[in-house]
Amino acid sequence: MRHALVIARREIESYFVSPVAYAVITIFTFVTGLFFSNMLVSYIRLSVLADQQMQRLGRSDLQLDVPTMVLAQFFGNEGFLLMLALPLLTMGLITDERRKGTLELLMTSPVRATELTLGKFLGAFGFVVVMMLPLVPMFAFLAQGGDWEPGVVFSGMLGLLMLAGAQIAIGLFVSSLCENVLVSAIGTYGLFMTMQFIDTSSSGPDSLWARLVSYFSFYMRQLNSTRGVIDVADLVYFASCITLGLFLAQRSIDAIRHTRS
Amino acid sequence: MISVTHLSKKYGTFVAVDDLSFEVKEGEVLGFLGPNGAGKTTTMRMLTGYLPPSIGRIRIGGFDLYDHPIKAKRLIGYLPENPPLYPEMTVRRYLRYVAALKDVPSSKVGSAVDRAIEKARLGEVAGKRIAKLSKGFRQRVGLAQAIVHEPRVLILDEPTSSLDPKQRAEVRELIAGLRGDHTVVLSTHILPEASEVADRVFILNRGKVMAVDTPRNLSASLQVREVVNVELAAPAGAGPTGARQLDAVRMAFEGLGGPGHVEVSSTDAGTIRARLESGLGVDVRAEVADLVVGRGWKLLGLASEPLSLEQIFLRLTGDQEGKE
Repeated sequence: MRHALVIARREIESYFVSPVAYAVITIFTFVTGLFFSNMLVSYIRLSVLADQQMQRLGRSDLQLDVPTMVLAQFFGNEGFLLMLALPLLTMGLITDERRKGTLELLMTSPVRATELTLGKFLGAFGFVVVMMLPLVPMFAFLAQGGDWEPGVVFSGMLGLLMLAGAQIAIGLFVSSLCENVLVSAIGTYGLFMTMQFIDTSSSGPDSLWARLVSYFSFYMRQLNSTRGVIDVADLVYFASCITLGLFLAQRSIDAIRHTRS
Repeated sequence: MISVTHLSKKYGTFVAVDDLSFEVKEGEVLGFLGPNGAGKTTTMRMLTGYLPPSIGRIRIGGFDLYDHPIKAKRLIGYLPENPPLYPEMTVRRYLRYVAALKDVPSSKVGSAVDRAIEKARLGEVAGKRIAKLSKGFRQRVGLAQAIVHEPRVLILDEPTSSLDPKQRAEVRELIAGLRGDHTVVLSTHILPEASEVADRVFILNRGKVMAVDTPRNLSASLQVREVVNVELAAPAGAGPTGARQLDAVRMAFEGLGGPGHVEVSSTDAGTIRARLESGLGVDVRAEVADLVVGRGWKLLGLASEPLSLEQIFLRLTGDQEGKE
């Protein structure tokens, strides 16, 4: 497994000299900051409103856990942002190696396809973790305010990382199928959007179809975590996505050799 | 060191490599010679374990490439036709990466990289990003990555193609310097290159081996006539070179008796060029020189023409159509 770490490290290094990755990390950080300040503003507004109602009426009909509510919205938005950002990071994972001819180097080295797949996954995942680092000072700032929910932040972050893992594994598989990065990105966007919005196609509130599609929806699977609930079913779902994506990617990478080029 | 038995590669009904069997001894340099599409790259890729063969077995240093791919691949250094480089990395960082992939122990990576840099003469660019390097240097980086783990077998696919003559000579010299340390298999479509570095040459055409021999014997045994090219300055004051002058030159050369066939033409530069074909072993160069001097013509060039690879192929494949 040493090879996997060697490959992952090179992948992260190459992200840090790639203009695309820099653009993605910049926009992600900027928009995250936007969401965060929006969250603070709506938190303050709702708190003031609740205080006023308490003073005038002696009670507030805003029977809401305000910190949890705004955090839920924030993490939901971040999940959406990941869907937009990650295809740009995974599109070249295998496609670029193929284009540069370096796949030939990897596959004639004493490296197993499994190690290569895992290395690529860890590399992209490592970069996403770095991309999310600016969230740390944001939450530290929130903690200064006193009234916050560390549990919701923890579950929200776990949910985001699991979602990112599932998306990277799927993106890696798509990348292994494509010889062109643009095709790879478009294919990945298509899959991600389908997975994100599939629950909106449910016809009734409690039909079998509705339950089925919401089971597979990224959005529905991430929802619990944004509210401070860690559901084992969600973790199992994302872990299954990662396993399936990596398995398909590994098979597909191994099969590239058999295609005539 | 390398043992190949009944190796074939088929793509559907197309046979890229057809029933190849050979052995390469430790320390030997083997050349694959052939035109584009002859199956050279396919053979190289199968030898490195990149491409699975349709039929046949390959053993590298005693390890079957199919049964023990990891052990066999550790013994191989491979330079594909296009060097597999990451342009964003520096030369040193890239070589460290390859060394780690090839299972060089981490404590020895540094010295292995230094040695490869020295052997491929990359010292001056070791800290530069690969994207900034010229094609010749990139090819050397490709060579350095192939030898960084001191493989017993070195497989080089057209190591000098797409280089200019100077770079080509440099790379050829580097490869010559590697013999002895490694068993080398290299492919090329340039005959002199094969004759310079290889102990033994396989001529490949349409996936089949057409001939196996030392380079010297190969060109000698296939050569059935000698060709001498002569270039003359047009006689001064005679005006533009006309048909009469050309005829005069041809008749003079035909009168020598040696050459069986003479072609004469004028060039754009106003010189006269003659091509004399004679029987094998007949060297007419001295006579030609005497004749030219005797007539008071100005000799610009006189050279015997080695049999080119294309001609060898036409000879071997018996392809008369391409002869013109």
